[in-house]
Amino acid sequence: MKTKLEEINRNIYDIKNKDEYEFKIKKGLTAEIIEEISKQKNDPDWMRDFRLKALEVYNKLELPTWGPDLSELNMEEIATYVKPKSKLNSSWDDVPEDIKNTFDKLGIPEAEKTSLAGVGAQYDSEVVYHSMREDLIKQGVIYTDMETAVREYPELVKTHFMKCVPVSDHKFVALHGAVWSGGSFVYVPKGVKVDIPLQSYFRLNSPESGQFEHTLIIVDEGASLHFIEGCSAPKYNKVNLHAGCVELYVKDGAYLRYSTIENWSKNMLNLNTKKAIVGKNAKMDWVSGSFGSKISMLYPMSILNGENAKTEFTGISFAGKGQNLDNGFKVVHNAQNTSSVVNAKSISKNGGKCTYRSLVRINENAKNSKSSVSCESLMLDDISISDTIPTNDIRTDDVEFSHEAKIGKISDKTIFYLMSRGLSEEDAKAMIVRGFAHPIAKELPVEYAVEMNNLINLELEGAIG
Amino acid sequence: MEKLQLLNETPIRTSKNFNINNIKIENFEFPETIKKFSNINIIGDLSQITQEVSLIDLKYGLNEYLTNQVKTRANQKLKVVVDNKTNKETKIEFNFDRENLELVDNIEIEANENSKATIIIKYLTCENIKAFHNGIIRVNAKQNSNIKIIVVNLMNNMSNNFLAIQNTVSKDAKLNYTIIDFGGKYSITNYHSNLDGENADNRLNTIYLGKETQCFDLNYIAELRGEKSNINIEVQGALNDNAKKHFKGTIDFKKGCKKAKGNENESCMLLSNTAKSISLPMLLCSEEEVEGNHSSSAGKIEEKELFYIMSRGFEFKEALKLMVKAKFNKILENIKNEELKTEILQEIDTKLN
Repeated sequence: MKTKLEEINRNIYDIKNKDEYEFKIKKGLTAEIIEEISKQKNDPDWMRDFRLKALEVYNKLELPTWGPDLSELNMEEIATYVKPKSKLNSSWDDVPEDIKNTFDKLGIPEAEKTSLAGVGAQYDSEVVYHSMREDLIKQGVIYTDMETAVREYPELVKTHFMKCVPVSDHKFVALHGAVWSGGSFVYVPKGVKVDIPLQSYFRLNSPESGQFEHTLIIVDEGASLHFIEGCSAPKYNKVNLHAGCVELYVKDGAYLRYSTIENWSKNMLNLNTKKAIVGKNAKMDWVSGSFGSKISMLYPMSILNGENAKTEFTGISFAGKGQNLDNGFKVVHNAQNTSSVVNAKSISKNGGKCTYRSLVRINENAKNSKSSVSCESLMLDDISISDTIPTNDIRTDDVEFSHEAKIGKISDKTIFYLMSRGLSEEDAKAMIVRGFAHPIAKELPVEYAVEMNNLINLELEGAIG
Repeated sequence: MEKLQLLNETPIRTSKNFNINNIKIENFEFPETIKKFSNINIIGDLSQITQEVSLIDLKYGLNEYLTNQVKTRANQKLKVVVDNKTNKETKIEFNFDRENLELVDNIEIEANENSKATIIIKYLTCENIKAFHNGIIRVNAKQNSNIKIIVVNLMNNMSNNFLAIQNTVSKDAKLNYTIIDFGGKYSITNYHSNLDGENADNRLNTIYLGKETQCFDLNYIAELRGEKSNINIEVQGALNDNAKKHFKGTIDFKKGCKKAKGNENESCMLLSNTAKSISLPMLLCSEEEVEGNHSSSAGKIEEKELFYIMSRGFEFKEALKLMVKAKFNKILENIKNEELKTEILQEIDTKLN
């Protein structure tokens, strides 16, 4: 008897529009290509120079010597900039029909009406729609695309852009610095509480291309925000690349929750970088669901720089056939009385591979800090792989640190218990898998939790024996 | 003099920024000529000990240079063949002194079917000298054997200790390994167990205790292949002053090891605010029907307990010693040789003075 999980129904996500664009840069990565992207985007001089320096760093850095095999990634075959046939709009009616249809089917305009304070939608390399509730604009909240932010808020952008994630961090961050396009900029002024979430949705339609959106969020002192990020792409035969960058500044006393449902297609290499700098008495929460991609290397990071800063990471990865999801979390405790809580889960099935890779570093100055890490992996068949690779680096004595992990299949005893209570074996297994994912699902907004439960759709077959 | 570079690679790499994939020893002066080592004392049944060791074939080891040194220049070779059906103890003591500064030992233990034995291997520096030890211990625990190995490193903090261990554990065999790791400026251990047989069982218990600038690098790897095989790794340690420890523990469930179990628990007491503990407890799993758990913790000694003991009239240092020994006690209970246990307890007292 085997538990069989359905492959995720990708019908909605796999809708392909014709590869129509206003401009598509030629494939490859050279200084000329970077100059051309910069010209197309009408960059100020400082940004053009920044891109060229990032390219130099990219050329010097090596590919990672650990993690999934990235040998099929050939930058000579990737177009790093695709400008869709649409300008930035503030009304859905003005968005071109085919693009609008895609976002309609993904449910974005509907969600905006019912449960969001603002929406940004990116199609290939450019943001095609952005809007936000009037009352938030009046309170001084800024939510716009990155290009507009570079032009209209140059000082704010210059002091924060790629300072949290410097281009020297790793090769794909340097690549991002050179070719970034699109993404969102959010500024929440001091003391302003944004009570319902803002959401950005990223859609990559063009084949053999990359998406390199930049998200920069500054939550000023005492302010709070919930930001949701969603992403998908139709499947093509050749690899697409996503190397976005998310920089989050959570100032003293502020709160930020950053939720992601990642459902890229199975030909996507998702090499994304996310980092938050958390100030005194501030809190940063990450909620992450990772379902798509062929290969994913994603390790959001919190740097707890202020006293009493806190962070929580709640994440689930679900790897099916042909997927290698190498995900995890990093936290650096850099001040007294800081705390971190990590709850990571993974499910692997049908030959998929899940790896939990992490770092907890408690520095010398982080006296009286606490860190608790828990990770659980569920194997649903004997052809899948699940690895747990956590690094714990403790550099002071005045800490409470604990880490625990477990790995295994669905317990026969638990199935037996549920069956003795009248459930069928199929229902018992379905209940166990949903229960396993529940701690993550309950952290998501309702519509995303429903989507996640749909993604984890159980089908059982065979007989007991 | 040979300069050592990278040692003790983990079976799976992680980000190099985490500084845990291997240990880099810079400007280490490795002795080029290995002189004779004769200060060895063996207590037990000598008839089962010869010098006829088999060829070394290590899957891991510390690095190529150190493995080759044992292969080609070992100054002590011992093969212990265990045939006893009742548990007998053999004690092998290597005593470093001014005449015996360098030991490169190749020890092979072959436990035949249904045999039982306890083998103690002790490394001790008797004088204020800078000694060097590089050794390989191989254990082949054949079907239904029950073997207890206790390795005790009581070298001083000027010396250096490099040790690679490789075990094969067959069907229904039990291998109980205890490592007491106290000495060495560098003490670097690679432990690799192959649990090939059905019901193969390996328990590894380690205590380490570091002070001054001591550096411990422990790389423990268990590969489970046999059905219902079991590995249990328990590591307890304490670090004082500027001592540093890297613990890398890998439980690797290979395809076919149905109903296997693996548990790993690592706990580090930090006795100073400049001591450093890095751990990488890995679980690798290619088999569905297994149970794998690991836990890791670090922190300072419980203040309330310390206060309680001190309120009963103990000085701080004495209270600290009591607490450290209490923490280590579960592992020390594996050592039935009272003389050795006393020696270890005395060393804990000395190191915590």
